[in-house]
Amino acid sequence: MTGRSRVLVVVAAAALLTACSGSTDQRQATGGDALRYAAVGAPATATNDPHGGIGNQSDLIRFALLYDVLAKPGDGGRTEPRLATTFTPSADLTRWTVALRPGVAFSDGRPVRAADVLFSLRRIHQKAAENFGRLQMFDMAASRVVDDHTVELATTKPYADVPRALESITFVVPDGTAGFDRPVVGSGPFRLAAGDAENAVLERNDSWWGPAPQLRRIEVRALPDPQARTQAVLSGQADVAADIGPAAARQVGDRQGFRVVHRPTVTMYPFVMRLDRPPFDDPRVREAFKLAVDREELVNKVFLGYGAVGNDLITPADPSSPRDLPQRERDLDRARELLAQAGHANGLAVSLHTTTSYPGMDTAATLYAAQLAEIGVDVEIVTDPPDTYWTTVFAKQDFYTGFYGGIPFTDVARVSLLGSSPTNETAWQRPAWDRTFEEALSTADPQLRGGLLEQLQRQLRDEGGYVVWGVADGLDLTTDRVHDLPTGAGFHSNFIERTRLQR
Amino acid sequence: MIVRTVLMATARAVLVLLVVSLTVFVATDLLPSDAALARTSGRAGAEQLAALRVELGLDRPVWRRYLSWLGGLLGGDGGVSLVTGRPVTDLVGRRLPATLALTGSALVLMVPLTLLLAWLVGRRPACSGALVGVAAVPQVVFAAGLVTVFAGLLRWLPPVSLLPAGATPLDRPHLLVLPALSLALPIAAFGAGLLGGAVSDVLRRPHVSDAVLRGVPGWRVATRHVLPFLLAPAVRVLAIGLGALLAGAAVIETMFGYAGLGELLVSSVATRDVPVVAAVAMLAAAVVVAGLALADVVATLTDPYRRRR
Repeated sequence: MTGRSRVLVVVAAAALLTACSGSTDQRQATGGDALRYAAVGAPATATNDPHGGIGNQSDLIRFALLYDVLAKPGDGGRTEPRLATTFTPSADLTRWTVALRPGVAFSDGRPVRAADVLFSLRRIHQKAAENFGRLQMFDMAASRVVDDHTVELATTKPYADVPRALESITFVVPDGTAGFDRPVVGSGPFRLAAGDAENAVLERNDSWWGPAPQLRRIEVRALPDPQARTQAVLSGQADVAADIGPAAARQVGDRQGFRVVHRPTVTMYPFVMRLDRPPFDDPRVREAFKLAVDREELVNKVFLGYGAVGNDLITPADPSSPRDLPQRERDLDRARELLAQAGHANGLAVSLHTTTSYPGMDTAATLYAAQLAEIGVDVEIVTDPPDTYWTTVFAKQDFYTGFYGGIPFTDVARVSLLGSSPTNETAWQRPAWDRTFEEALSTADPQLRGGLLEQLQRQLRDEGGYVVWGVADGLDLTTDRVHDLPTGAGFHSNFIERTRLQR
Repeated sequence: MIVRTVLMATARAVLVLLVVSLTVFVATDLLPSDAALARTSGRAGAEQLAALRVELGLDRPVWRRYLSWLGGLLGGDGGVSLVTGRPVTDLVGRRLPATLALTGSALVLMVPLTLLLAWLVGRRPACSGALVGVAAVPQVVFAAGLVTVFAGLLRWLPPVSLLPAGATPLDRPHLLVLPALSLALPIAAFGAGLLGGAVSDVLRRPHVSDAVLRGVPGWRVATRHVLPFLLAPAVRVLAIGLGALLAGAAVIETMFGYAGLGELLVSSVATRDVPVVAAVAMLAAAVVVAGLALADVVATLTDPYRRRR
C-alpha cells in the first residue's frame, strides 16, 4: 500500500468510526474509572454458586468482588485477614475461635453475622467432592456460633494452620440461602448492578469496610477463546485480558499502549509416573526420567521462555517449598546408568499420554519423548481428547502429562499424596510420610512446622513420581492505563478490587 | 389439497423433531464422561461421585431421564443445568436474541448471494470450479481472513464482537458485520454450487430455448418458463443453508467472543450438560425442520405440473 492510499484508508476508517461511533460511546457512558475485564470462562460452567467447583476464572473474579472471604493470601506468604480479624486456637489445636469484623453488612442491608459465616463454611464443606475437599480438616457438626461476631471452628484432628486453610473460597452468603440458580447477595467491595454470570456489571459498594477501591465500576465478561480475549483489549473493547498465553504475549510484545503483566510461577504441566506399576515402581527408573529431561528446552519451547525451570518440586510457589535445594540438571550418562541398573540396558518402551486442554501440553510431551529417546527410551505419545482427559487419564494411566495451577502444598497433599487421597495419581503410598504430614499440621511452632513440610517436599521431589520441568508465568494483557493488577500465584490473583485505572 | 400438504408437512416435522431430540439426548449421554465427572474434574472419590450422581438424577436410566425431560419441555420447562443448576430456559433465553440477530443477518446476506451466484454459475458452468473452491474454505479461515483485512489492516470493524451487558445486538449492528459475513459467504457459495446445476438444467430445457426462439421477451421467459422450475430447489437449498448457518454459528460465536447459543452449545457438550445441549439442539433443529417443511409446501404449491394432475 502506498503512503497516500494508506492515509486515505485511515481517513476513511476514521470517518466511518465517527459515523457509527460504536466503540467510543461505551467508554464515555461508563466514565473513566470503569474497568472492563475479559476473563477466562465458558458459558456452560458460569455459575452463581460460590461454594462448589468453580470452573471459570471469570466466576472467581466476580465472587472475590461480590463476597467477603474470611482470609486471603497476602504479600510475602502471610495470611491477610478479611472478614475474620483474629484466629485463636485452643491449647490442643482442635478448636479455633475466629473473631469477625464488626459492623459489616450485606449489600441489601442485613448485617453479616457468625451464623452466615458458619452456614457458608458448612456449605463449602458439604460440597467437598466439587471443591477438592478444601475444608475437610474441619468438623462442621461440632463447630458452633459463639455470638454474632464469633465462630468456633472444630477440627477433626489437631490443626495448626487454620488461618491458611481459610485463605480459600470462604465466600460468605446469608444464612439459609437456598437458591443459587440466581445471583446471591454478598458483602464484598462491589455489588452486582446488572448482567449475569457470563457478563456481569459490578458497582462499588460504598459501605464496604475496607479501603475504598478507586474503580467505581467493573465489568467481568467470560470469554472462552484466548485469541478473542487478546483482541478485545487490542481493539479497545476491554481493558484487561486474562491469561492470553505465551504465543499472544510474544506477538503483542511491547506494542505501544499495552502491557503484558506477568504472574510468576502459576501453572505447570508435570509428567506424572505411577509408583505401583512397572517400570516406574523402580526408583532408579524414576530418577533416570528426572535426569533425562532438558528443562531449558521445554521452558523455551512450551512456555516460549515465559516461566522458570522446575526442580521437581510440586508447589514451588508455596511458602513452605524448600528454597535451598540445588537445581537438578540434565545428566544423560547417569540416567543411562540408572536404567541399565534397573534392567533396561537394552531400552524401554512406554506410552506417554497428553492432551490439548491447556496450550502446549501436547508439545511438552512430544519434546520430552525426543529427550527420553537419548537414553534409549522409546516413547509412544497418546493424545487424548480434552473432554475426557481428566476422567480417563488423570489418576488412572501410568505415565501422563498433568496440570497444576498454583494450589497450596497442603491441598495437593490432601488431594493427591496421602494414603486416603481420593485421587492419589502417583500411587504415593508412604505411611511414614502421611504421619509426618499429620505431625506437621499439628505442630504449633511455625518454624518447626515449616521444617517438617519442607522435609516432606524434599522426599517427594527425590522419590516421588512427578517430573516438574518448569513453571509458567500467568500472562495478562492490559492497556497501559491499568495499574496494580494482582500478580501473586493461586487464589491471590482473583482479588482485583485494588486495581486502578489511570485517568 | 393445500390443507393436506400442510398437515402432512407438520406431522413429518413433529416426528423429525422427536427423533432429533431422542438422538441428541441419547448421543450426548453415550459420550464418555458425564456431568458429575465434569463437575468434580476427576478429583472426587467413587462414593462422592455416586452421591453427586444421585443428586443430579444421573443414576436413573437414560430413557427415564429422556421422558421426564420431554415431559418438562412440553410443559415449557427445560429443566436445570446439571453443571451449574441454572434454569435451562433462562440460559437459553438470555442468549437466543444474540444468535437470532447473528443468524438472521447472515441469512439476509446469504439468500440474495446464493441466488445471484447460482444464476451466474447456471449461465456459465465454467465458474463452478471457483465456487466449489470458495465453499471448501472452512468458516474459521474465512473469519480469520476477514478479521485480518477489515479489523487488522483497514481498522473498519472490531476483530471481536463483545456485546455490552444488557445491550442487544441491534444497538451495535457493526458488531454483527464480520461474524455474519464469515458465516454467510461459504454457505452461499456451497448453496449456489448446488443450485447452479438446477439453473443450467432449466436453461437448457427445450421449452425455454423454444420460447426464446419464438421471440418471447427475456423477462417473460425468466418469470414464466424458468423461475417456476427453480422455486422448489431454491427454497430447499436455502433451508439447508439455514441449517449450515446455525451449525457454523457454534464456531464463529466462540471465535468472535459473541455471547450466543453456539458458544453455549460448544461448552455444554464439553461438560456433558445434557439438558442444555438438548435444548439448544432442539431449537436449531426446529428452525431447520420448519424451513424444510416450508420448502416442501412451497415445492408442492409451485409445482408447474400440479394443476395438470
